[in-house]
Amino acid sequence: MSLVKAENLTKIYGSGEAAVTALDHVRLSVDAGEFVAIMGPSGCGKSTLLHLLGGLDRPTEGSVAIDGEELTGLPDTALAELRRRKIGFVFQFYNLIPVLNATENAALPLLLDGVHASAANGRGAEWLSKVGLPDRAKHRPSQLSGGQQQRVAIARALVAAPSLVLADEPTGNLDTHSSDEIAALLRRVADEWGRAVIMVTHDPRIAAYADRIVFLKDGTIVDETKLKGAGDAQALKARVERLAR
Amino acid sequence: MSVRNAILGLLSQKPQHGYRLRSAFESLVGGKEIWDVKPAQIYTTLARLEESGLVRQDCVDQDAGPEKRVYSLTPEGRKELASWFAAGVEEERQRDEFFVKLMLSMRAEGVDPATVIQAQRGTLYREMHDLTSRRTKADPKRELATIFLLDKTLMHIEADLRWLDMVEARLDDMDRQTSITPAARPRGRPRKSS
Repeated sequence: MSLVKAENLTKIYGSGEAAVTALDHVRLSVDAGEFVAIMGPSGCGKSTLLHLLGGLDRPTEGSVAIDGEELTGLPDTALAELRRRKIGFVFQFYNLIPVLNATENAALPLLLDGVHASAANGRGAEWLSKVGLPDRAKHRPSQLSGGQQQRVAIARALVAAPSLVLADEPTGNLDTHSSDEIAALLRRVADEWGRAVIMVTHDPRIAAYADRIVFLKDGTIVDETKLKGAGDAQALKARVERLAR
Repeated sequence: MSVRNAILGLLSQKPQHGYRLRSAFESLVGGKEIWDVKPAQIYTTLARLEESGLVRQDCVDQDAGPEKRVYSLTPEGRKELASWFAAGVEEERQRDEFFVKLMLSMRAEGVDPATVIQAQRGTLYREMHDLTSRRTKADPKRELATIFLLDKTLMHIEADLRWLDMVEARLDDMDRQTSITPAARPRGRPRKSS
C-alpha cells in the first residue's frame, strides 16, 4: 500500500472569472522508502501540491491520505497533530530558530509535543549525529554554514519519526557542493531510514538523485520519469567509458 | 593535444622510460577505464616532440626500442609547458545528434517535437541518476580524477536539460502565436474610382 495517496487533488483560488486553478485533479502515489522529485516551471502548481500533501492547506476538491489516515475533512487541531506525528518539513530557508542551538532546534517538534526536555534533546542530539553534525550540537544557526543549517533542519524533520518528509527547494539557497550533500542526505532518508521523501526542486542535478521525477505544468502532471533501476552494472560501465570521448 | 601536453607535464616531474609514460598517463586521468591510450600513440607523440626539440632522449642503448629509452624535457619543452599552463583552453564543439533530431521533428510528419523533447529529457535524467550514484560511491582519496570527470559530465548534462526547457518554452510561444488567426487581407485590384 502506498504511504502517500493523493486523488483528484484540486486547488482553485478566487472565484468566477478571476478564478485560478493552481492544481487540476492531480493523482499521486508515493511508497515508503521512495524519493520523488516534483519539477515544473514557475506557477505550475508544485508548491501548491506540496502544501496540500503536507496538510498546510486544504484542497478545493480531492483527498490526501498519509499512512492510511485521511487528511481531508479533519478539523484544524487534528490536522495539526497528524502533521506533527507523520510529516517532517524541510524548507528552502532552513527556518531555524536563531536563539536556540542546533540540538534544541532539532528537538523542537518533540518539545512542542510536550516531551520532556532531556529526552527531546537526547533525540535531537542523536539525529544531529546521524546527519553528520555531532560536533556542532551547541552551535547556534548563525555559527553554522548554510549546508550545516539545512542538515539541522533535516534532523528536526526526522526527530519525531515521521513517515513522510516534504522538502520545498531544499537546496535553493546552497552552493553546488552543499546542494549535493543535502541531496545525498535526503537519499539516505529514503534508503537508510525508510521514509517517503517528496521534494520540489528546479535544479536538475538535485532532481537526478530521486527515484522518480514528476513533471507538472499548468496544474497537471504532464510527464513522469522513472530513474531508479534504469541502469544495471554493465550499462553504468558503458556510460563511464563514454566519458572518455 | 591532451596526450602531447600530458607527456610534457609528466616529463617535467622526472625523466621517464617510454613504457612508463603510458601507465603514468592512465594513473593521472583516473585509470584505463577513463582513458585508454595506445602505446603507438605515446611513441608517435614522443617522436614528434623530439623533432620539435621539446623532448630529448638521454644516452641509453640506442638499439633498444622506444619503450626502453629514457626521455626528458629540453629547456624549450619547459617553456612550452609553462605557456600551456598559463593559457586558457577553448571549449571543444561537438556535433550533436539530438540537435539534428530536434530540427527534423519540427518538419517531419507524424512526429511531435514535444514528444522528442520529453524522451530526451528522460534519457538525460536517467543518465544523471546513474552517474550521480557512481559519484556518491567514489572515494575522494583514491578516485579524485574520476570524481572531477563525473562532476563535469553531470554539469554538462544539466546544461543540456536547461537548454531543453528553453527549447520547449520557445516552441510553446510559437504555438501560441500561430493560433491567432491573421485578419483576412483584401484581394484583387482596388476599384477604379471614376
